Amino acid sequence: MAKKTYDLLFKLLLIGDSGVGKTCILFRFSDDAFTTTFISTIGIDFKIKTVELRGKKIKLQIWDTAGQERFHTITTSYYRGAMGIMLVYDITNEKSFENIIKWLRNIDEHANEDVEKMILGNKCDMEDKRAVSKERGEAVAREHGIRFMETSAKASINIDRAFNELAEAILDKTAGREPGDHVDRVTVDRRQQSSTTGSCCNK
Amino acid sequence: MAYKARLRGFDDILQNDIIDIKKLKELAFNGIPDDQGKRAICWRLLLNYLPPERASWTAFLAQKRELYNHFIDEMIIIPGSQCSEGDHPLSLNPDSMWQTFFKDNEVLLQIDKDVRRLCPDISFFQQPTDFPCSQIVNSMDAKRLHRRVEFSVLKSANVERKGLGITKIALSLKKANEDYAPMAEGEEAHWEVVERILFLYAKLNPGQSYVQGMNEILGPIYYAFASDPDPNYREYAEADSFFCFTNLMSEIRDFFIKSLDETDCGINSMMSRLLVQLKNSDLDIWLKFQQLELRPQYYSFRWLTLLLSQEFPLPDVLRIWDSLFSDENRFDFLIYICCAMIIILRNQLLSGDFPSCLKLLQNFPPMDIQIILNKAVELSKQKV
Ligand SMILES: Nc1nc2c(ncn2[C@@H]2O[C@H](COP(=O)(O)OP(=O)(O)OP(=O)(O)O)[C@@H](O)[C@H]2O)c(=O)[nH]1
Ligand SMILES: [Mg+2]
Repeated sequence: MAKKTYDLLFKLLLIGDSGVGKTCILFRFSDDAFTTTFISTIGIDFKIKTVELRGKKIKLQIWDTAGQERFHTITTSYYRGAMGIMLVYDITNEKSFENIIKWLRNIDEHANEDVEKMILGNKCDMEDKRAVSKERGEAVAREHGIRFMETSAKASINIDRAFNELAEAILDKTAGREPGDHVDRVTVDRRQQSSTTGSCCNK
Repeated sequence: MAYKARLRGFDDILQNDIIDIKKLKELAFNGIPDDQGKRAICWRLLLNYLPPERASWTAFLAQKRELYNHFIDEMIIIPGSQCSEGDHPLSLNPDSMWQTFFKDNEVLLQIDKDVRRLCPDISFFQQPTDFPCSQIVNSMDAKRLHRRVEFSVLKSANVERKGLGITKIALSLKKANEDYAPMAEGEEAHWEVVERILFLYAKLNPGQSYVQGMNEILGPIYYAFASDPDPNYREYAEADSFFCFTNLMSEIRDFFIKSLDETDCGINSMMSRLLVQLKNSDLDIWLKFQQLELRPQYYSFRWLTLLLSQEFPLPDVLRIWDSLFSDENRFDFLIYICCAMIIILRNQLLSGDFPSCLKLLQNFPPMDIQIILNKAVELSKQKV
């Protein structure tokens, strides 16, 4: 058995409309770089980054999902195993902000009840094209009792902070829990594939 | 030498009055030469666009290309340009041109995001085309599709609905993305052409409309046609790739339709087929994946949906597609290639944990594509 190089493993998920910058955010966080042109995400993507919080090594397993409706059956199956979810919108795109409500509903339907959430208003470097004020972002977050931050993957604003804060919130909750093999993967919610067949147990 | 002989092999087949498609497939399966526009002509045949009778080509192509121009005229309309009684941006009449215009723009918005993200590792799509579409590029930008959605990126959906001050907003635009800066009047970039093809496809196939990833299917076809050294063909890269793309989509569209996921031709059944193949070809890896609960949708959903176009550099994708398009039982060979890709990584996969295996599969390591193809052929022969 390989020795564990981390103390805890957290599974995080990035969701939000297509083009809001989920892949760029993740790339900024994992590789500390930004390229303007990224291929669009088809299905899901996956990255790992280890951070240190309160003296603990925490391995973050981050799933980057595709934004378009077509991929929802594929992507919602990842919600169940997620311990933290980043909901991303684009501050220059009103529609992507309005859809946050839709994404929240998706979480209610498919994710664990105690999942930690955070709303990110991305592309805050584009002040001249802003369509959603920071206040509106904060208001929605407050209304749902969720953390909120404006970020820029391009200018590297608040990206590390956002992930650290989310991880910390999870840490508060999971304090004391040991990393076990059972948390080593995302549990796929099979109810999704065979449509709603009543209740089903999940850990 | 062998290369010259291969070229001659293609010439022999392509010079016949009636082209033997079966023979062409046999030859093309092992790769089509990169030069002399061979790939472009062969793909037109392999995708059932050009008929095998050479004598009919001139008339056939002329008719198709005219049809395509007709699509452009019909479908890229600007409301208000033709005076239509009682139509205005606030109209709730479903026949309203403005209504259609706004609905189309939602689709266009997604296309626009994706064509700007097509093949970012090469500069081809940002380059101007030698053959811009004249009615578009000489319209004072009015018919340029990306102009239509720039304002909706900028402004809220409410404004779309109200439709007020559209021209004003459109005029006060700043450059969106430096690399994809708009071209001068009379010019257009390849990505704009790709955007138009996808838009027309979405309009003509409302049941499918546009789904992300279609850009990755069109990209290589358009690239092959638009880099044809023969200007007589290159000039019509747009129309020809539209029809070839349409034909190819007719074979794989089920992968793109959510409601068909569970059907025999849907993506889930393709993923199951891959898994069965893997089980038969390499039980150890299959067991390992079972144990790790590494499901095929984590990696092969994208492989299969996009015919591997996001996994390899463009020249390799072209080479893979030579084989896929020559496959008699179209897309059986795709399963073999995917399976070969997994088996080639055997040692690493068997010793890895969940994240390292998944990372490896999602970011396939660079390697000579021929190794993968040879392995795939080997697997396909084992089956008998
Ligand atoms: N100015 C600015 N542009 C950004 C920022 N983040 C992303 N972008 C741009 O937005 C585009 C889309 O970003 P992606 O990360 O590919 O979007 P996505 O959310 O992953 O989209 P899907 O994969 O389609 O769901 C990119 O081409 C970037 O140029 C940012 O912080 N600032
Ligand atoms: Mg993405």
